[in-house]
Order: sequence, then structure tokens, then C-alpha cells
Amino acid sequence: MRRWYRNLDISTLLIWIALCACGLVAIYSSTHGEAQEFLLTTVQNSFGRQRLWLIISTVALVTILSVPMRLLVRMVPWIYLATIGFLILALVIGREVGGARSWVYFGPIGFQSSELAKVGGLLMAAFVLASRRKEKSILPTAAIAAGALVLPALLIILQNDLGTALVFVGLIPVLALCGGVPLRIVGLLILFPIAGYLTILSWPVALGFTALVGIIAWYGTRNRIWVAAGVIASAMTIGVANFALQYVLQPHQVARIVSFSNPEADEYRANVGFHLVQSKAALGSGGWFGLGFRQGTQTQGRYIPEQSTDFVFSVIGEEWGFIGGILVLLLFAALMLRLLWLARAIDHPFGNLVVAGVAGIFLIHVCVNIGMVLGLLPVIGIPLPFLSYGGSALLTNTTLLGLALACYMRRAEFSLYV
Amino acid sequence: MLSVLSLQLFRLQVAERQDLSEIARGNALRDIRVLPARGLVYDRNGTLIVHNTPTYTISLAPRYFDRTRIPLLAKHLDVPDSVVALRLQEAQDYNPYRLYPSFSNVSFAQYSRILEDVYLLPGVGWEIKQRRRYPTDARASHALGYIGEINREELNAIDHESDSSLYRQGDFRGRTGIEEGYEPWLRGIPGVARRWVNVYGLEIMSYAQGQGDQPPRGNYDLHLTLDHRVQEFAESLFVNKRGAVVALDPNDGGIIALVSKPDYPLESLSQGIQREAWQALLNHHEDPLYNRATMNLMPPGSTWKPFMALLGLSEGLLEGADETIYCPGYHPFGQGRFFRCLEARGHQNVVEALKNSCNTFFFELARRMDLEVFKKYANRFGFGVESPTDLLEQTPGLIPDSAYFEQTGRYWGTGAIMNLGVGQGDMGVTPFQLARYVAALANGGTLYAPHMVSHLVEPETNERLELPDISDPIHLDIDTTHVNLVREGMRLVMEAGTARASQIPGIPSAGKTGTAQAPGNFTDHSVFIMFAPFDNPQIALAVQCENTGNGSLCAAPIASLLAEMYLKGEVPPSWQTDIRMGRALSATSESLTQVAE
Repeated sequence: MRRWYRNLDISTLLIWIALCACGLVAIYSSTHGEAQEFLLTTVQNSFGRQRLWLIISTVALVTILSVPMRLLVRMVPWIYLATIGFLILALVIGREVGGARSWVYFGPIGFQSSELAKVGGLLMAAFVLASRRKEKSILPTAAIAAGALVLPALLIILQNDLGTALVFVGLIPVLALCGGVPLRIVGLLILFPIAGYLTILSWPVALGFTALVGIIAWYGTRNRIWVAAGVIASAMTIGVANFALQYVLQPHQVARIVSFSNPEADEYRANVGFHLVQSKAALGSGGWFGLGFRQGTQTQGRYIPEQSTDFVFSVIGEEWGFIGGILVLLLFAALMLRLLWLARAIDHPFGNLVVAGVAGIFLIHVCVNIGMVLGLLPVIGIPLPFLSYGGSALLTNTTLLGLALACYMRRAEFSLYV
Repeated sequence: MLSVLSLQLFRLQVAERQDLSEIARGNALRDIRVLPARGLVYDRNGTLIVHNTPTYTISLAPRYFDRTRIPLLAKHLDVPDSVVALRLQEAQDYNPYRLYPSFSNVSFAQYSRILEDVYLLPGVGWEIKQRRRYPTDARASHALGYIGEINREELNAIDHESDSSLYRQGDFRGRTGIEEGYEPWLRGIPGVARRWVNVYGLEIMSYAQGQGDQPPRGNYDLHLTLDHRVQEFAESLFVNKRGAVVALDPNDGGIIALVSKPDYPLESLSQGIQREAWQALLNHHEDPLYNRATMNLMPPGSTWKPFMALLGLSEGLLEGADETIYCPGYHPFGQGRFFRCLEARGHQNVVEALKNSCNTFFFELARRMDLEVFKKYANRFGFGVESPTDLLEQTPGLIPDSAYFEQTGRYWGTGAIMNLGVGQGDMGVTPFQLARYVAALANGGTLYAPHMVSHLVEPETNERLELPDISDPIHLDIDTTHVNLVREGMRLVMEAGTARASQIPGIPSAGKTGTAQAPGNFTDHSVFIMFAPFDNPQIALAVQCENTGNGSLCAAPIASLLAEMYLKGEVPPSWQTDIRMGRALSATSESLTQVAE
């Protein structure tokens, strides 16, 4: 008999190791460079703690891989309940770090409840979608699944961590698509963020986008109602976004949202644009091949705030150059493609949804984080999976990866209880 | 989506590389000025008399400073929180983004404590500067001068296009003495070190392994003609006295000692003085900041007689070296009431008159002279005019001519002019001028430019720079036989005349006592000029002691002791030494306040 791990996907694991290694190198460089003595002791210890968390994460990975699939599925509602309970606990007794009240401490070790909640949220949504009877309509089920994601998102917004909450919302269209919700509805869902983003950039472009939506909707559905829905949704988004930017939001909030397109402007560069100006400067100073390990002038000089956490990609960009940055992007692309390939190999909706959802979470993080570092998106504080310093995030992402690997490895176990 | 990210990555890192890395360099690359160590100062024997030790300065960049750390910084600096807050405000007013030297001269302990906690103190920088130290006992306050922090007006006056790195806020520059006079050589030209700095403005690494760094250059060590042993001995002899000493090498004009008392410790001014202490110096009734050696004007008294003798011999006021003038104890002009001599000496020639310091003889010479010739002749000897020198402050002094008397409306009949013959009345000379004049008598008639510095040496390359820009010696064109007569008279002054108690054991010398009348009811000033050894003069001195009485009582023993110290390297114990030391130390300048009461 072959061993229990005979179906373990080694290539995914290798990519995971490579990404974690890149992260450790970047964190080491930004905390053990020539300027080490100028850092806070807590920052200086980042590397050591991240290494420790990596060991904890590996233990979690092995644990998840060893749990029988049937047991896992049965535990999902309990995990979800625990997740919600943990989020509420954080609101009650949590500690505030960086403005977000999402940290719960067990002795010296702190857990970021909003990070860990991703596991429970994804599992619950996949569980709801997968347990639908074939004859029932998809939409009510999808609505319940979406609700399973929106609930933790709301709690996390209460914790004042908008960025992480957005990940939950972003997961809805991904799961919807995989769960069998018609493409046109999913399309309608992703219409809102795109239209809103374009509105921030330039509202004429957003209007053009609205026209494009109409054309695509017509060719996609040949149905006037869908065309109207698409155009109206897009136009409404533009209107609401403009209205909010001009009348509802405070000037400093508006500045935070719109400054990314022009962070060098005089009114932004010293405050809300500071991150991006420095981040871009760091990337530019890296050039093709980078300045070398521990040689990044902006990195060692700590010009980029949050450089070992949210802006870790700029460290890689400066010290390892375009080559290093592309390598990381390629690793993520490989990870995503591999996960999709794994998802296709599973014959069970729960497995499909979990693996696709994991890929979706990673994709959202990668796009939002690197988009932010590169100045394509507003500064939203979410980490780069496996690279950013942060124990809870590393544990969460490794757990998610473990779940995807478990679903693939134990794909034969699903058929027993369909 | 990932390809969009890749494209943007390409755009930032490859396409827009130039612009962005320019921003990055602007952020993090800073040219840091490297000051050369201020030049050291050696005396004529190569003894180090001025050097530098490090001092520690803590700077603040308010924009990066975390105000919640004020108590921590205040604790480390042992000052109240409010002081830190105040300094922050000052720095803020200067430039919120740049480090401003807020706390100078912090102790090494304070500096170390701050360095240990520097990671808790963003926006705090430090600088190690040099402070002047004076290892010998010679103060030489007025000769060496002090350094002080450059002020805003001076900074604004510097042409910032060309010299922006030369001086900055918080820099020191020479304020007086040779520190000021040789400022460009002592200071040198600052170099540049290119450094990567972090977001708080602290240096973290060098740029391109130090390529493109410019080391500081152009700083020189000074080698003085000063002899620190003579200098410190002279200062020690001036207890309870006001006055000045200038000692010259008669063969080149090098200043062997330059004393002005009272003085002040340079050490206390070398690192920024407390306001109260400075005010006390400034307002002191004896004015310690005043350089008496080059500024103090008083009549020369009888030390003027050698000059008058030369004038008489050269200008034909005497019929020859042998002409005698009869002294009945007074000059007949004024019925013997106003122009008195110490005693009736009968017929005297010029040598005897010098030896005995006979007033009658020189009253008569003055009566015969023309005032304009007198003035011209005095100017030739360096009186009434400024001397070429590397000392910065001096007064030309006063030698009257007819225009002077007319303008001031003073009486200038025969009596006033006769008074000039014995170095009294409306004239003023400085110790500095007297020293230059006696040096010319010593060397047979050459006026040198007195100077402090013999040469400069670049410490790295040992490049030697001769003394810059001092004028050539002036030959007085006087008959050698005339000079020798005067020298003979001065030799007799030491051997058997008014200064016979101040001989140097074993070394023949020449000198002349003087007693300058002080205005008002004050005690006379004691004046003395001297050179030694007689046959091969190595040192020429002028000493003025204010309000201490007769020239032979205070100034003469001091001059003699200093000459002996210079020539022998020590003052061996002897009965002559006891007499001179006793006189020198017991003489006391009459207190100005006491008499005023």
C-alpha cells in the first residue's frame, strides 16, 4: 500500500518553500542590514520570529494533511462558529495594533483574528455551496454563502481593518463563478469594483467602460434587460463614487483613495503619498538586477514605511531588481495555475471550491498588495502571502495552502459521502 | 492581472529607472562635510602648546523626532524636559528637516547613553567635534587667541555660491590672536564624504566604497617663535600686576614671549563660554581681554633716552660723542624747579648720561631738537606708526608734532618739548614698539617685523610653508659708532647703573630703566628694555608694569629673569636670583579702585 502522502502535490510545496524563502531573505535584509542598530528591537527580531512562525505553520500544514477529509468537512460549521466567536472576542478583549483592534494575545503570542478568519470563511462558503441539492436553484444558496463571507467581513470592518474585509468580499465572485452561478451575474458583481476604480482614475474612462459593458452584455446575452442592468450598474457606480468623493467622504479620506494615481503631487507627497513615492523610488533604484542583498539604499535607510510587512515587495524590487520582482510574480503565477490545475482534478464541488477559493484569496492578496506597491491601487494594508512579515498571515496562508493540498491529496475520499 | 503587474514593474524598474532612482538618490544620498582637524600649534622648541580633543554634540531633526521621546532624551542629557522642547523649537525654526546642533559639549557619558538608545530616538543625530586644549602652563591668551562659534551675520557674509561648505552653523572660527590671523591655514578646506543616510538623516553606509569622497585638505600646523617656558615664566612673575612683556629674537623678529596681564584662561573659551562668565570678562575693571602688549599706550620714560641719544648723535645735536653737558641736578630752564635730575652729576658725555639716566642731558638734547625731525626719526624707529606683523591688533601710538599740539590746543613751548626728551608728556608707545626698537639697538640697527609664526607644516605631507606675507626688514641707516655708543651706555646701565641689581649672572647684557608718569595720583609705571647677551644678542625685551613704581624695581628684574630663562633654559639659584625674584614678585600694581576712592 502506498503511503498516505502519495498524492501530495510536491510542486506546490516547492513553490511554497521558494516563496517563504524569498520572504525570509527580504525580511532579513531589511532588519539585519548595515543600519540594523537604528531599528527598534522589536523590528530587529522580526526575522527570528518569522522563522519561528514558519515552523509553526509547517506543523499546521502537516496536521491538516493528516486529517481525514470526512472529519474535516464535518468540522466546517464548528470551525466557522469558532471563527466568528474569535472575531467577536477580538472586538471585546483584543489589542489594537496599527489602528485595527483584531489582535488576541495568548501569553506572548498574538493572533490576528481577521487573518485567521479567512480559513473559516472560505470553508463555510464552500461548504454551503457544495451542500446544495442539484435540483434547487443556485441563487438562494449563493446568497447564503455570500452571507457566510459578509458576516466576518462586517465584524472585521468593526475592527477597523477595511483591507482585510475587502478580501472576503472579493472572494464572493470567485466562489460564485466556481459554484455555478451564471457568468452574467458574476460579471455584474465584478462590474462594481472595476467601475469604481476607473472612476477614481478618470471618470471619462469610466463612462467609456460603461459603454463597453453595454456592448459586451449585448453580445454575451442578446438580452436587453442584461444590457440595461450592466449599464445602469456601471453608471450608478460612477455616480455614487463621484458623489461620495465630493460630498460624503472627508478630505483626508478622499486623499487616501485618490492619491495613488499622483502621489508625487505637492499636497500628497509628504503625507498620504509618502508610501508610494518612496516605494516607487526604491523600485526605480533597483533597476534590472537590483542593488544586491542588503545593499538597497532605500531599504537600508528605511525610507519605505512598513517595508518588511506590506511593502516587502519593494525591498525585493530594490535589492534584486526587475529580475527578482518578476521571479516572485512568476512564482505566484505558477502557484495559481498549479492550484487551478489541482482544482480541475478534483471531482467534488467542495474540493473544487476550496482549492479555487484558496487560489482566489492568494490572487486578491497578490494583486492588491503588489498593485499597491507599484502604485496602481490605493494603499490598502494587506500583506503579500508568504513574503510579508506577519505570523498570523503566514499561518493562515499556509493553512489555506494545506487545505488545498489536502483536498487534492484526499480527493478520493470525497465520493464516499456525496 | 499578473501581467499588468509585470508591465508596471517593468515600467518602474526599467523604463522610468532614471527619474525614480534620481528620487531615491535625492532621498538617501547626502554629501557630508568632513572638517579637517584644526591645526596644532607648536612653540619654537617643538613643544605642543595647542591641540584638540573630541567633544560631543547632539543634533535634532524636528520633523523626524518623536515628541513622546522628549523625557527620554532629557533624562539622558540631564536637563529638564522643557529644555529639550525649547531646543526642538529652535531647530524647527532653523530647518525642520535638517539636523541642527542643539546640545554641544555633552559629556562622553551622556553621549554614550544616547547612542545606546538611538533606535528609540529617531531624528536625533550626533557629531564629534574638536575642542582646543592647551597642555602647557603657558596661557598666552592674547597671543594665541580664542576661537568662537560663527554667528549669523558672519555666515550671511560668506559668499555661499563658492564657500557654502567652509562654514556652517555651529562651526568655530578664530576670534583673536593667531587663531584669527591664521584661520584659513588652521582650518583648512573641508572635504566631502558621500554617505547613504537613512530616513532620520543618520549615516548608514558609504557611497561606492568611498569613491568620490574628498578628504579635507589645506590645514596646517603652526610652528611659533614663542618659547613656552619663557612665556609661562613671565606669566608667573606677573602675580598681582598689570602689564605686558614682549620678547623678540633680535635676529629675525620672532616673538619669544608676548604677555598681557591680567589675562584669561583660553580653555574656558574653547568650547563656547557661558554668558555670565563672558560678561564678567567683558566688564572686569582691569579688562583682561585688552591686549596690553600691543595696545597699551604709556610714555616710555627713560627707556626713551637711547633713542634720544641716537637722535642727538645722528642729527648733530651734539658736537660729537665726547661733548659733555653739565648737570647741576636740574636743567636751568625754568629756574630748576620743573626739570629736575636725580642728583647733580657734573659734566656728562652721552655714555655717562645713559648710564646714570641723567635727565638734564636729555632735556638739553630735546631743547636743541626740531619737533618735526623728532617725529620723523621716531617714526623711522617704529613709534607712532603701525608695525608690520602677524598680530592683528595694535595701536600706532602717539608721537607728537607741531600739528598735534596745534590741533589739541595744548601748550607746546620749550618745556613741553624738553619733557619729550626724557620720554614723558604727550607721547605714548606700546611694549610691542619698545621691544622692536630695543631689538634694533641689539642687532645694530635693523627693524624686523615681529611675528608669532615661523613656519607652517601640512601634517599629512609634511609640506613646509614659510611665513606668509611679512614685510622685509628695514635698515635704519645709522652710524655703527653711534649705535655702539648707545649700546655701551646701556651695558653700563646693567653693570653699574640704575639696573645693576638686575644683572644676569655670567651673561653681560644691556638695558635701560624707565619710569613713566601715570596721570592723576597713581603710582608711576615701571618700564624696562633690555637685550642679551651683549656681544651676540639673542633676546630683546620690553616690559611694562602698570602702577608699580620705578623701572628698576619691577620691570628690570622681570626682564632679566626672562632673558636668563631663555638663554640658559633655567634660572639657577643664586643670590642674584633671590634679589630679582624678590623684587619681581613683591611688586604690586596699585589697585585702580582703591585710589579712585
